[in-house]
Amino acid sequence: MGLIHRFKSMLYSTFANIRSAAGITITLTIIIAILGAVDKGSYIIVNTIVTGGMWALMAMGLALLFGVMNVANFAHGEFFMVGALAAYFIMTFSGQYVAAHPGTWVAGAAPFLGIFGATIAGSLFGAVCEVLVFRQLRKRSREQWVMNVFILTLGISVILANGHQLLFGTGYKGIVKYLDLPSISIFQTLISSDRIFVFLLGMVAIIVFWLFMKFSKTGRAIRAVSQDETGALMVGIDLNRIQILTLAISSALAAFSGASLLFMFPAYPTMGMAPLYNSWFVVIVVGMGNVGAAVIGGFIVALFQILTTVYFGEGWGFVVPSALIILILVVKPSGIFGSSVRGVLEQ
Amino acid sequence: MDKIRRVLDWAGITPLGGLTLLLLILIPWVPPFNKEYLIRWLVMGVLVGAQAIAFDFTSGYINIVNFGFCAFFGLGAYTSAVLAVRLGVSPWIGMFIGILPAALLGFLTGILTLRLRGIIAACMAWFVGLALMGITTKWVKLTEGPLSLSCPTLLKTTSNLPYLYIILAMMLVVYIVLKWVVRSPMGLAFKAIGQNMEAARTSGINPVRYRIINFTVSCAFAGWLGGFYAHYYGVLMPDVMLTTKTVEVLVVVTIGGRGSLWGGLFAAIPFVYGTELVRSFFSKYPGINLVLYGFFLLMVMIYYPGGIARVYQKTLGQSKNRVVRWLTGRDNPSLRI
Repeated sequence: MGLIHRFKSMLYSTFANIRSAAGITITLTIIIAILGAVDKGSYIIVNTIVTGGMWALMAMGLALLFGVMNVANFAHGEFFMVGALAAYFIMTFSGQYVAAHPGTWVAGAAPFLGIFGATIAGSLFGAVCEVLVFRQLRKRSREQWVMNVFILTLGISVILANGHQLLFGTGYKGIVKYLDLPSISIFQTLISSDRIFVFLLGMVAIIVFWLFMKFSKTGRAIRAVSQDETGALMVGIDLNRIQILTLAISSALAAFSGASLLFMFPAYPTMGMAPLYNSWFVVIVVGMGNVGAAVIGGFIVALFQILTTVYFGEGWGFVVPSALIILILVVKPSGIFGSSVRGVLEQ
Repeated sequence: MDKIRRVLDWAGITPLGGLTLLLLILIPWVPPFNKEYLIRWLVMGVLVGAQAIAFDFTSGYINIVNFGFCAFFGLGAYTSAVLAVRLGVSPWIGMFIGILPAALLGFLTGILTLRLRGIIAACMAWFVGLALMGITTKWVKLTEGPLSLSCPTLLKTTSNLPYLYIILAMMLVVYIVLKWVVRSPMGLAFKAIGQNMEAARTSGINPVRYRIINFTVSCAFAGWLGGFYAHYYGVLMPDVMLTTKTVEVLVVVTIGGRGSLWGGLFAAIPFVYGTELVRSFFSKYPGINLVLYGFFLLMVMIYYPGGIARVYQKTLGQSKNRVVRWLTGRDNPSLRI
């Protein structure tokens, strides 16, 4: 008796959830994706899923950073670039090593070495940025924090992008492929094994991140800091450690995406621009600081990018998403999935 | 002499500022500096400085970084250029017509986004800028897109000197108008909103309205300066709307000191000179000047948040020396700086 009642209430609440803005958006997205695939071919869904996964990871890092430390990171694209560059060097170096010593285990492990090495490099960069840059500003002044830190991240982005140009030149540094496996055919579309590998890794990363944030002590500490910094201090959370960790995780996520997409997007100094505005699209559309929704938002924005490119051509990639965001912000300023965006009266 | 002083007081220019202005006017006639390429650099420097003044009006007073600033600049540039090329409008008039789309777009962006937090408004200005750059690139029929649009120049001469005086005059207009606004009750409202929105609201200031006014005025001036840019270079590409150009203006404003209108101008001229010098001498190391400026930006933001203007205030501005006090206009009540 109670079981049926509970089941009914669960059904009603799910139905009510679907009718909310979030639910409508998700349903609409799935419908549009299916319609697009029927119209133009299933590569739309494949590309959406692969690119969407990567934008999801990047947007997660951005949302995490904003939610926990109130840092609007404009150097996020540069961390993506750092990851891509690190992966390029690791793969090139291991390629030479394998050529010199054929038959070693390195040949099989190279993709993992590349991606994980790049992730670690990215997180180191992030930690360094926190200690050398953000912490110094935090020690000195916390007024107008968001805008000031935004300008700081601009400075970091300028240094990283031009440092890349200075040290490694403007050429394109790419790899042909990660894995030596043949392409797989799903639903009559030929998908390269690289994309499947990268997508699976991305999903694993998201699941690991979610488990970490929900169940581990440090994860809960991070969430506590994002809710209330003073309260977290009062229960004895070491704020310094959490801040370094958050920045390390955020930049690790960006570097991971950069490394994973190396086979699709080669590394060059200004490559950070596209991932940057894509992740900012996602974060603003779903509501700033909302990490969970950033995952879904990544796929939504990826779908819109792909549909825009397919139906309108290459160059309108900025225009349509921008118009969409303006529309969404007019109707629902806190983003589709909601966040605690304060109006102009609470800066 | 007295009349000059009264004009300067009305304009809000200290004697030191007046002397610097005189320096800028006379220096192209002095032998080491009268080479054409140096005058050209000076024109570029003053142009970036004028942009910095308009940018600082928003970022220094209501504390919103207009991250799409160069798109409004480019909008004014393209409007003026397209009118000149397609409809034969004279560049002098086109420059002023270019103000209209820039101001209109600024106003629309403002009413849509300035209700929200500053960071979201900054992001939205950025997206508007990106969208504008995309439209400019794709609408080849109107703007020639990446193939670059050639438009008539303001004057028939190839010398840079007349352009220097034109841009100096334009920069002065921007500075005087914005300084006048800043010294008026509206400027006080801007400062209040930038510092503490709650207190401003309690005093009866409507934050949204003042933010929108500020943003629109800043974008209007950006459009006007864009018109000059189009008819000075004679060649226009969508690259003029790149975010990196906005970042350059932002770096200059921050190093010069946010909240003082003249700081950006003071930092812009060495910035442009430095960029060009590095480009010619260190061409083996491309991008090193921007790395250096990135470091400067970080240093200034963390350790010297007031920039050059604050250093000036702390040293010269508080000096007890009578000559310095006269130069900086501290004993002059009608200056009201």
